Amino acid sequence: MDPISVDKSAPFFVAGHRGLVGSALVTKLQSLGYTNLLLRTHSELDLTIQSVVDAFFAAHKPSYVILSAAKVGGIHANNTYPGDFITINIQIQTNVITSALKHNTKKLLFLGSSCIYPKFAPQPIPENSLLTGPLEPTNEWYAIAKISGIKMCQAYRIQHSFVAISAMPTNLYGPNDNFHPENSHVLPALLRRFHEAKVKNLEKVVVWGSGKPLREFLHVADLADALVFLMEKYSGLEHVNVGSGKEVSIKELTELVKEVVGYEGEIVWDSSKPDGTPRKLMDSSKLEGLGWEPKISLKDGLMDTYRWYLENVSSKE
Amino acid sequence: MDPIDKSAPIFVAGHRGLVGSAVIRKLQYLGYTNLLLRTHSELDLTIQLAVDDFFAAHKPYYVILAAAKVGGIHANNTYPADFITVNLQIQTNVITSAFKHNTKKLLFLGSSCIYPKFAPQPIPENALLTGPLEPTNEWYAIAKISGIKMCQAFRLQHSFDAISAMPTNLYGPNDNFHPENSHVLPALLRRFHEAKVNNVAEVVVWGSGKPLREFLHVDDLADAVVFLMENYSGLEHVNVGSGKEVSIKELAELVKDVVEYKGEIVWDSSKPDGTPRKLMDNSKLAALGWDAKISLKDGLQDTYKWYMENVVNQQ
Repeated sequence: MDPISVDKSAPFFVAGHRGLVGSALVTKLQSLGYTNLLLRTHSELDLTIQSVVDAFFAAHKPSYVILSAAKVGGIHANNTYPGDFITINIQIQTNVITSALKHNTKKLLFLGSSCIYPKFAPQPIPENSLLTGPLEPTNEWYAIAKISGIKMCQAYRIQHSFVAISAMPTNLYGPNDNFHPENSHVLPALLRRFHEAKVKNLEKVVVWGSGKPLREFLHVADLADALVFLMEKYSGLEHVNVGSGKEVSIKELTELVKEVVGYEGEIVWDSSKPDGTPRKLMDSSKLEGLGWEPKISLKDGLMDTYRWYLENVSSKE
Repeated sequence: MDPIDKSAPIFVAGHRGLVGSAVIRKLQYLGYTNLLLRTHSELDLTIQLAVDDFFAAHKPYYVILAAAKVGGIHANNTYPADFITVNLQIQTNVITSAFKHNTKKLLFLGSSCIYPKFAPQPIPENALLTGPLEPTNEWYAIAKISGIKMCQAFRLQHSFDAISAMPTNLYGPNDNFHPENSHVLPALLRRFHEAKVNNVAEVVVWGSGKPLREFLHVDDLADAVVFLMENYSGLEHVNVGSGKEVSIKELAELVKDVVEYKGEIVWDSSKPDGTPRKLMDNSKLAALGWDAKISLKDGLQDTYKWYMENVVNQQ
């Protein structure tokens, strides 16, 4: 495996630079001295439109592309807008990958998600469990689109020797996450709820389930670090899992959030409510074998995220 | 039963291919007068703008999406990017524009290769995505699976009436008879024909002859396509097969008979057989009330006649 030296002055297109992942990437790249970042908002460049994507690539000829633009959302959104979830993602991916090849992009990194894997994949989930069993129905639209993206990258490499790689992150958290009271994921949801319980002086916070399910979390700044690492060091056909390798129970997570927020009341477990899947952990040994590991502990990551939340969300409401 | 309005514009994408040409024949025979047909050079379905302009201008009521980038094992292995990309582009462009411009109903065509390599035999619709794909055509298969899912997603989100049909191995007029990359049935027709005209004493066929296969004449498929357009609006895709298996040995003997070759068939059992059995589970379509009508023998005779008139005579 030859390290590829990424030219820091070459035009570098970060698609989706305002999202959770894209914004962390921009911060990382800027801190590393990348001076020529090509950034376009959705209204400046609608990635679902083939002709505008191609015109953009023709005009700017990015040497490197990180494809972190996607239509994302939770269970409810996937169930309500399945047409959008499959179509927009396939359009974005197809347009960006085909134009990148056509206009001589040197390397492209495609981002997916752990939901590409079968619902009953072995735990920890290795890369080779892809397409070995049925998907989780609640996000199959998004998953099929992302799987097509992985396969498209592989196909371009095989037919055209186009250097496209794919990275599949575990559950992410951090600045720019979605803290919406109804449709955020468990970690930002807990941060918000404990914060609100603190400021309102509530005696207790009720959390659904038994607290026993095990989950893995990765701070998005660690992901950005891993993606730069992969751009520099990995050019393989197979996609790569990016996880922290560290599991916590929902109970441990909740207690950590309580501590970080400084809430002094009670946690009450409503075990009549569902737990969800008992365990979900990526097998990150392939990435570890390449020499990468995360640096941000869950506690430090939560403190960083809570601080961002106070400055950017709660103070604006 | 929801009869299709016979004067309404019907877009048959891919009308010059094996499937598309059979669908046209069927529709014309049934008195459909308003067929919108565009060759690849008239309308490149991979270009989003061109497809949308076409739909905006012509507003097809019905769409049969029989256009695809197709090919055998060697082509899939050599051009995987084309196989996944061109098919995804065609499907995404046609389905999104059809919805946007108020198409009433769309039928998407796939292939039996969407199913897992080790699917139970006969292969039921619900085997989809339950196991690994056959690696030699995974690029095409993933594109086609995405198409099925896109049709389902549009139905769920927009109540768009999109259905998907998955045919078994097809044969008939307009098939590919290329000496090197045709499928087994047209390959055998060609080889026995050439052995007859060249007076060759024997034809060597690879394998033991034991593997079981299913074939459907493309005119039967066209009939099923019209049937589904009129009678089916379900979420799940539908297998379209004949339900009749033959061994490769039986097929070879039938071809020999139809071509009237008088020499010997020799089996080279040192060569590989391929998968032992491949049969679609046709019971869902059968329960809707559709049956194939063309026997393999009649279908082979029809195909051989077409081959003589259209391939042999032009060479």
